[in-house]
Amino acid sequence: MIPTGIFGLDEILGGGIPDGSKAVFSMEPGVNGQLFTISVLACALARGQSCLVITPNTSQEAFLHDAARLRTRKLEYAQGQLHFIDADERNQIRRSNTTSGKTEQAWKDRIASICDKYRIGLIVVYLDLISEDFGIEKGLKMLDSACASGSPTLVIEYLNLMGPDMPERFISEHHFDLVISIRSSFSPLPHFNYFTILQSAWAKNEPRSVPFIISEGKIVPYIPRIVITGPAKSGKSTFVASASDEGLSVDRMSADGTATTVVMDLGRLSWKDFDITLYGTPGETRFDPLIPPMLRHAMGVVLVLDPDRPENLPRARDMIRQIISLKIPVVIAANHRNKAGALSDDEIRAGLGINRDVPIFFISATDKGHVAKVLESLIDFITRFTY
Amino acid sequence: MYTYKSGIAKIDDISGGFDAGSNILILAPPMSFADQLAYALTRPLEGEYSIVLSTNERASEVVDYFKLSGTDKRFIGVIDAITKTSTPSIADTQRLMFVSSPTDLTGIGIKFSNMVESIFEGDFSEGEQGLFPPPIRFCINSISTLLMYRRLEVLYQFLHVLTAKLKKTEGVGFYIINSESFDDKTLSLIKQLMTGIIEIKMDQNNNYMRVQGIRGVSSDWMKYTVTKGQVSILP
Repeated sequence: MIPTGIFGLDEILGGGIPDGSKAVFSMEPGVNGQLFTISVLACALARGQSCLVITPNTSQEAFLHDAARLRTRKLEYAQGQLHFIDADERNQIRRSNTTSGKTEQAWKDRIASICDKYRIGLIVVYLDLISEDFGIEKGLKMLDSACASGSPTLVIEYLNLMGPDMPERFISEHHFDLVISIRSSFSPLPHFNYFTILQSAWAKNEPRSVPFIISEGKIVPYIPRIVITGPAKSGKSTFVASASDEGLSVDRMSADGTATTVVMDLGRLSWKDFDITLYGTPGETRFDPLIPPMLRHAMGVVLVLDPDRPENLPRARDMIRQIISLKIPVVIAANHRNKAGALSDDEIRAGLGINRDVPIFFISATDKGHVAKVLESLIDFITRFTY
Repeated sequence: MYTYKSGIAKIDDISGGFDAGSNILILAPPMSFADQLAYALTRPLEGEYSIVLSTNERASEVVDYFKLSGTDKRFIGVIDAITKTSTPSIADTQRLMFVSSPTDLTGIGIKFSNMVESIFEGDFSEGEQGLFPPPIRFCINSISTLLMYRRLEVLYQFLHVLTAKLKKTEGVGFYIINSESFDDKTLSLIKQLMTGIIEIKMDQNNNYMRVQGIRGVSSDWMKYTVTKGQVSILP
């Protein structure tokens, strides 16, 4: 199995891409996703596999330079381990073959001869110009037949100009084992990138969309804003403190002598390769104008409420209505103190007007394990969300 | 909504300029210096930013042109599709980015997004800030060159995505195409992506332009010159 080297993705895929599989990274134009294929290539080289890179739109030198820039370090490989068919070779093949049939055969022969001679374990193909030269059907068939003898793993980067249906065609018509669509969106954040695993033949998962950023030459799953909100004194600051690796809370003493948040709580944590920032809202009603701007770019919300305080349910209900109207994934954390007369799951659902799609967790906000479980559920929810 | 001044009184006085989200095709015969007109329209006014995708000349030449017209180079970005062919190891900077060749639509798309993102994040101009949301003028200094390397259908799809992105960011785009090198089908397909057309013709060493698709502006031919990035309409 070739690891992808991408945080979070290998875990979802059960370790990486099985040898001999066909994988495609389908990139929407403009999305910075070139590191996906380069990361797989770097992992295969690190395993000692011989690799062939078919890059018809650039020279070998430019490819290696760009790969080093994207990774912030050079690709490491032994002499004779990395081979290319690049723009110069494409031009030579085109010049020396007068018909499309002959050109196609020349490509097949060239790929097959490199695969046989060097026992290629991974072929990385930049499909853009191949699909232009031959059409996508023919181009893929050509690659299939050229790779037939040694069964190397085939990883394709595809510039998807055909629209959102094209990745599905890689599954249904071209029988790819792994199909990942890399896209961007303007909501919930401007210039927000995410990848969606549409198909993984060996690790059966529901399609998942994982937001990411590129940091220090790596693709990092990234959830830039989870908002922790809820009525006053429900335990939001405690929740943020328990969840965070590092954080900040600005509290003042309230009239009843307890601490209350007057600005917001801020926490950052790394969880299962995700880089996550938490924003805790103040609970007092006078801070309500702060909440809509914080929700505006939120990717998920934890609504913390105290089931021992049924009088707070109407306020929590107003909050959840606002969250649901913005179509933000939400989970409920009922910060339970085991008091008699606390609201039950059904009573909370009835009070908030929510169905069973929204999970409710009875937790202690001081318990890091409980808090982690709530976040795990929310991240699961976020990655299943359609942007 | 933001309006981009053209610097041409006959346009700005009537329509205010180009509406945000406009994509304008500059249809010009060879050797008509259409790039000078396109650069004059792309030149950023105070608070604006410009990005040029150069398929014809090196980034340094494009920047020099803007500098000569008195533009602050900190507000100009160039995506250069020429230099990397001869200098594969040339490194990107914040405002000068390089793609391997005009065939590299993946690279062009990514560099364009990177520049727009860096403008939005305020990292583009060495601490100098323009307006927000940032008004961005964009220019491709020749679609004709891209068409030499890529099939029309592919380029159409690509430009469709690019023009839509520019519209979403409320920018304005100027795209030069050689009016004599392509058949009607090609020109008509590219025109479908545009909101307006500036047509150029030459007659006895004089340049004329006419504007179509900009509300209220007459489509009569206007004699013009471009001097130091400024378009002047002649009687």
